[in-house]
Amino acid sequence: MISSNAQAGIESILFKAARSRLPQQPDDTCEIVPLAHAHDSTRPDANVIILTISSILFRLLLVFHFDDDTGTRDYFARQTGDVSLQDVLLEVCNLCCGAMNQDLLRYFQDLGMSTPYVLSARCLPYLEGLKPDYLSSYAITINGSVRLAATVCVCAHAPIDFVADMTAVEETSGELELF
Amino acid sequence: MKQYLLAAMAGAVATAILAVLLHKWDKARTLNRLQSEADSKIKTLTQTNAQQSASINEAEQKTRQLESSIARLSEDLARQSKSAGEDRAALAAALEDKEQLLDQARRIAGEASRLKSLAATFERWHEQMISLMTQNQDMHAKNHELSSIVKHVVIVSLNASIEAARAGNAGRGFAVVASEVRALAARSEELSRSYRDSLHRNDLTTTATFQDIQAGGKMITASLSSVEVLADQFEARLH
Repeated sequence: MISSNAQAGIESILFKAARSRLPQQPDDTCEIVPLAHAHDSTRPDANVIILTISSILFRLLLVFHFDDDTGTRDYFARQTGDVSLQDVLLEVCNLCCGAMNQDLLRYFQDLGMSTPYVLSARCLPYLEGLKPDYLSSYAITINGSVRLAATVCVCAHAPIDFVADMTAVEETSGELELF
Repeated sequence: MKQYLLAAMAGAVATAILAVLLHKWDKARTLNRLQSEADSKIKTLTQTNAQQSASINEAEQKTRQLESSIARLSEDLARQSKSAGEDRAALAAALEDKEQLLDQARRIAGEASRLKSLAATFERWHEQMISLMTQNQDMHAKNHELSSIVKHVVIVSLNASIEAARAGNAGRGFAVVASEVRALAARSEELSRSYRDSLHRNDLTTTATFQDIQAGGKMITASLSSVEVLADQFEARLH
């Protein structure tokens, strides 16, 4: 129901959003590698952050997996003062999903985005229960040391086909996503 | 003397004859001249008359043309008067339509603005998700406690089996009971694991559903904003 062009488009949009929103400094590297499994089963006790982009034709669930380790904490929460790591990650994930939402708006007129929510990583095997038409996970490494993962799950209610044009110049102004 | 008188008389007669002849010749010439002048005047008058007749004919023709034009113009005027009346009626109808469209545009903008408050309804549903998820977390905690108890029961049942074995024949009945308790604990453990999985499935389904509702609400609100803007623009164009 989701064409290969659309799948490639969603992946490109995710990559672009992740590379533009996850690194905290402009010069930080961000490597993204597809994972064989739809969920990161090596860290079952970890928490994940989940967001949803809804349209008339589909709903897209975006799941971010973070380790609550020193590297992640130092990278994301070093300069945030009293704000907890989870709150910082919620904000980062919200911005990343917001960037995807902005790009998808070029192809789908009516879109809405949820606020982020924290779930146990043990929930992720049940993404299959939503009967997704497209489910894919990616390992993300920032600066070669901060490791996280992302899963995108799309449930379509109608055939989806679009070709993402990723040649457009990225907007430098960050949009404020309220939640 | 008589000769002279005769000669004088003859001369007088001759002169008189000559005078008469001259007089006739002069009269004839005058007549001819008058006749010629009369002919010339008649000819001139005839020509003038012909020209005037032509002019009269031309004037009559022009008069007919003018009458025809006046008739045509009268028809045009009547037609245009009728058309102007129809145009006035059409303009009045168009103005009425415009007022109705303006009213409808205002109502659409008002309805879109009013329906945007649906966002609060969607947010209320989303808040119910938080409540449901809190209950799920409570069930997770209770299930975790149950799992701990079951694990403890397994250990106790194992210890009971060991003690029963030590008691020998006297402990056979107790060994059966300990074994049964261990089997029940294993079933409880499996049930607890299954319940935990169900809770996780429930967590995901609940979150996905309520996030879809929340995102869908924002989508509808954004669409209604677009409708409101379009209705406002339409209203502004009608003004």
